[in-house]
Formats: sequence, structure tokens, C-alpha cells
Amino acid sequence: MQYLIQLLISGLAIGAIYGLIAMGFAVIYKSTGLVNFAQGEMTMITAYIAWTISTTVSGNVFVVAIGAILAAVVLGLVIERLVMRPMLGEPVFATVMVTIGLAVILRSAINFIWDAYPHGLDIGMGRSVVHLGGIGVRTGQLAVIATLLLLLAAIWAFFRYSKVGVAMRAVAADDRTALLMGISATKVHALAWAASSLIAGIGGVFFALSYDLSPAMFQLGLKAFPATILGGLDAVLGSGLGGLLIGITENLAGGYLGSGMKEVAGFAMIIVVLMVRPFGIFGERDIERV
Amino acid sequence: MIKHLAAASLLLTTACLVAGPARAADPGITDTEILIGDVEPLTGPPALLGVAASLGHKIAIAEANAAGGINGRKIKYVLEDDGYVTARTIQGVKKVIDVDKVFAMIGISGSGQSIAVMPVLEKSGIPTVIDVAPVKHLWEPPRKNVFVVGQSYEEGIVHLVNFLADKNPGKKWGLITQDDDYGITVRDGFDSVVKAKKLNVVYSGNYKKGQQDFSSDMLQLKDSGAEVFLAGGIIAENIAMMKEIEKLGIKPVTGIFWPGRIEPVLKLMGPAGDGIYAVDYVEPFAGAAGRAFLEKAKPLVSEAEFKGINRYTMTGYAAAKVLIAAIERCGKQPTWACTISELEKTKNVETGVMAPISFGPGVRFSNQKLQIMQADTATLSFKPVN
Repeated sequence: MQYLIQLLISGLAIGAIYGLIAMGFAVIYKSTGLVNFAQGEMTMITAYIAWTISTTVSGNVFVVAIGAILAAVVLGLVIERLVMRPMLGEPVFATVMVTIGLAVILRSAINFIWDAYPHGLDIGMGRSVVHLGGIGVRTGQLAVIATLLLLLAAIWAFFRYSKVGVAMRAVAADDRTALLMGISATKVHALAWAASSLIAGIGGVFFALSYDLSPAMFQLGLKAFPATILGGLDAVLGSGLGGLLIGITENLAGGYLGSGMKEVAGFAMIIVVLMVRPFGIFGERDIERV
Repeated sequence: MIKHLAAASLLLTTACLVAGPARAADPGITDTEILIGDVEPLTGPPALLGVAASLGHKIAIAEANAAGGINGRKIKYVLEDDGYVTARTIQGVKKVIDVDKVFAMIGISGSGQSIAVMPVLEKSGIPTVIDVAPVKHLWEPPRKNVFVVGQSYEEGIVHLVNFLADKNPGKKWGLITQDDDYGITVRDGFDSVVKAKKLNVVYSGNYKKGQQDFSSDMLQLKDSGAEVFLAGGIIAENIAMMKEIEKLGIKPVTGIFWPGRIEPVLKLMGPAGDGIYAVDYVEPFAGAAGRAFLEKAKPLVSEAEFKGINRYTMTGYAAAKVLIAAIERCGKQPTWACTISELEKTKNVETGVMAPISFGPGVRFSNQKLQIMQADTATLSFKPVN
């Protein structure tokens, strides 16, 4: 039983990171109809910036957190303004190719700006091991699960009650009507990129805290993308939950079927789910996009 | 008129015949310069080895140039990035040979990449010394112009597993390897000792390249009761495994292979990394030879480059020293044929960073002596085990 619980906890912890990055995918897709193939790289850049702040400015958790949040938001806004906005009105294929190009540039930036060595993000917390009923877990892993749950609740409330959230839903549902009502699609796009970068960046920072930073970290995006597909490409909350499902499935498969099955299990589950629900577990049958 | 044309044609033909050998001379060499080419992963995760190896080449070249170059000619280093993508390695090697027209090649990316590029090197006939990823396919069968400095992955694993088996008789073993050519080589070496020594293997895992979370794998290791563990990851994978081991509260005797024997890794592994064994054929930086190398390197590279020095810098340095020495022995007019012949005559060349290097007739592999080292997290170093 302890073996199973350990697998579940580890699965939830890595799944929460996938979930946060998957939510980043969904936020952009829901608002712009675009799949951002640079999501993993944006996540990695935010984590590296957090590490730089911790090693050069201060290792204080609040300084690092505020710095990383600002950096993630600025990164999202800059990419939207300089790279994505000029692509407005261009074919979706061309826009998607731009995100692929962006991914390659951001990936290479790691070696140019930082280096190829792995690094540990040390902010004085998150790396210690606590034992819950004899099961070892890092405090950072507990924190990322809690953060995902809090963010899920916050995002639900944001879309349900805030004016901006309602505006974003309006643009996603019917951009022309939204435009007639005075809602700027451009502003909504910029907000979506900033929010996506921030949410995924939080996942990246937690990954760096619980595991380590390395130039291979962009691959988290490849693991999180199936979570988005599973939860629903247009379902922000569903994508978060999709991440948890992928994390748990991977770990159970790895623990009971063998190491080789770990990477396969999540994708096998997606194939089965998509055969039944092609729009994902929580996705809408007809996806509206701006 | 016809007489004049015939005379002119004869003159032109004669001129061409005379000029012929000069045009056909080996490329990459002028009165003042000798070009040496290299293709390494300078971007992406494997840049950790590519950048470090190229630094080793740069240090040896800077040292030679500071001493006047090769018989008065300065060495120019032409370096291309392949991003650890085999197609780009082939493209890069063709570019430095055909476009940059280098005189000799050195280094050359990872094991898969250097195997893939072998037909290009062989066809061109360019003198080549490979140092980054020594695998048997590079010297078996021996190619006339390709020399390899190092030790085979398989031999390294056999040496490490034999050492751990002798030190821990009757213990239960666990192994995890990567699902690529590197992992297969590690597993083959491990299996040969398992068979010979009848080791009791209770856990055998195989992870997908790029995997970052090893929680279920290490939980399986714990559940199996393994007491000796061969961590077949490279760098980030071994760190992730050791952190999981720490989290699970187990402490198997652990061995790692030289691609992961990078000092900064110990800091990231934390307490779980203390005492892990490693095998290598280059000197540890904590020893006298390692310290001397760092002292030598310091003035020859920038501060940022100095931080990128690791064991691959030593392998690169040694290979470059051997190549430079061979070209130098060819005197004022070195050619490819002479350089290859002199490389073959390489006998007990001291580089200070590994055992003396030798090749021989039909011997294209230096077969370096191996040593076992143990990690000391207090000093973040590996120390030789006697």
C-alpha cells in the first residue's frame, strides 16, 4: 500500500507541474486559437531567470518569487508584442511555425546567456524532505500540488466573476460581438500571453526547486502538451487536471509495468480518451477562437 | 599561326603539369597557418561536453601557438556547432573539410555522430584524432587516417562493475540505462560481468532519453532491495536519480560512468552523492595532475571559459597535443600522409592529464588506463581510490 501511495504522491507532484504548463497552453489556445510550441521553452526561461535572481540579487524566497513573476509576465508580453502581434491575420500554419522558431531561439538562448551545466534553485526552502506516514516527499512537491489547486480555484473565479475574465470569455465565444461591445481583442491576446507565461513559469520554478535546472527542461512542454489535449485544448481548468492525470498514470505505469512504460503510458491514455472524446475530457465540442 | 598555337598549347600543358602538384598539395596549410577543424555540440544539453572538449583543443592550440606554433606556423582552430544532431555533424564535417579546407580534424561530437561521419572522414583521408566519445566502431576495423584517444565505454563499465563486485561480494544489484546506443553499451558491459561473476541482479530498468522524473524507477529500485546500484544516466539523469534515492531514505553503493563525472554534479546530488564511485581515464581535478592542468589552462582561456572546464577538456587537450606533436614531427612541409604516419608512430606521449598515449601500425585506439575514483561532497571533488 505504501508503494502505491508513494507512486501517487510522486505522480501528483510531477503532474501538478505538467498541469501548470498545460494550463499555459490552454490559456493561449482559448484566447487566440493558437498552439504555442514554445511553451516549454518559456517555462524554462522563467526558471532560469528565477535562478539568476537567486544567485545574483537575493536568495530570499519573496524576492525570487516577485522577480520571477515579473519576468514571466514581461516575457509573455514581449513575445506577444514583438513576435505574435505582427502575425495577426496570417494563416494559422504560419503562426504556429513562428512559435516553433521561437522555441528553437529560446532553447539556444540558454547556452548563450547561461550555460549547459545543471543548476539547483536554492531559495532556502522546498528542497528538504519531509516524511508523511513514512513516505518521503520534498516540501517543494507538496507546495506545487497546493499551488496548482489554488490556481485552479483562482482561475475559475477569475473567468466567472472578474470583468477581464468575462471579457476574455466573450472574445473566445464571439470576437465580433465582443468587439462591438468595446472589448479589445489585442489587449485580450496580450493578457493571455502574459497569463500563460506566468502560469507555466510557476510550474518551471517549482520544477527547478524540486528537481533541477538544465537546458533539457524545455522537454517539460512536450509532457505538458498531452495533458492539455487530454483535459481539452480550450479548457484551462481541464488542462490542469489533465496534468495530474498524466503524472499519476505515468508513475503508476512506471511503478507497476516497468521503467520503459512510463513515457508511453500517458500517450496511450490520450489515444484512448481522444477516441471517445476527440475534444478532450473537459473540452468543448465546438471550439471558438478569435 | 598553327605553329604558334601548338607552341602555346605545349607551353600551357607544361605549365599545368608543373603547377599540378602544387595545386594538389594537402589543404589547410599556408606559409603562416595550419587549420584544424572540429565539430561539437555547442548548444543544447550536450554542450556540456562539446564546449568543454573544444576548450581542451583551444588550450593545447594556445599553448602551441605561444611556443611559436608548429615549426613557425600558427594553428587556427575552426569550430562548428552540430547541436548534437547527426545530420548537422555530417554537414559540419563536410563544411570544414571542403569549404574551410582544414589540414586535420579533431574531437567530433558524440559517439553516434562520430560513427555516422566515419565514411566522410575515411573517404577524405584527412588526419583525424577523435577524443570525445570513444566507442569500438571508431577503431574496429582500424581506418588509416582516424585515431581515437580514450578508452571504450564497454571496458570502462566492465572495470567499474568488476571493482564494485569485488568490493561488495554477494550483494544484490540494480541497474538503469538509457534507451540509446550509450545505454546499450553500458548494459552490454554490465551484462558481461554479471555473467562472469554470477551477480544477483534484482532490478534492471531502462529509461527513455530525456526523462526527468525518476520517482517510480527509484521506488522500484528500493522495492527490489538492491544494495549496489549502477546509475547509467549521463548528468541530469544521475542527479535526479540520486535525489530520489535521498528522498526514499536508501543508500545503495552507487557507481556512475565517466560522462557523468562532472564535479558540479556533486553539489546538486546532495548528500546522496557522497561516496559514489566513478571510473575514468583522465586525472581528477582534485589530484596534483588535475590542479597543474587548471593552472596551465587559467591564463589561456577567458574567465567564463574557465568555468566550463571539465573532464572533457582534458580529453580534448590530450588529443590536440598528440595531433600537434605528429604534425610538428613532419617538419617544415607537413602533409596528410606524413601526419598519419607520425600519428601511427605516437609512442608514450605524455600529456599530463591521462596515462601516456600510444598508437602503432594498425593500432588506431590509445586504450587508456582506467582508474576508480570516489566522490567527496565536502570538497565537491572525485578522489582516486587505491
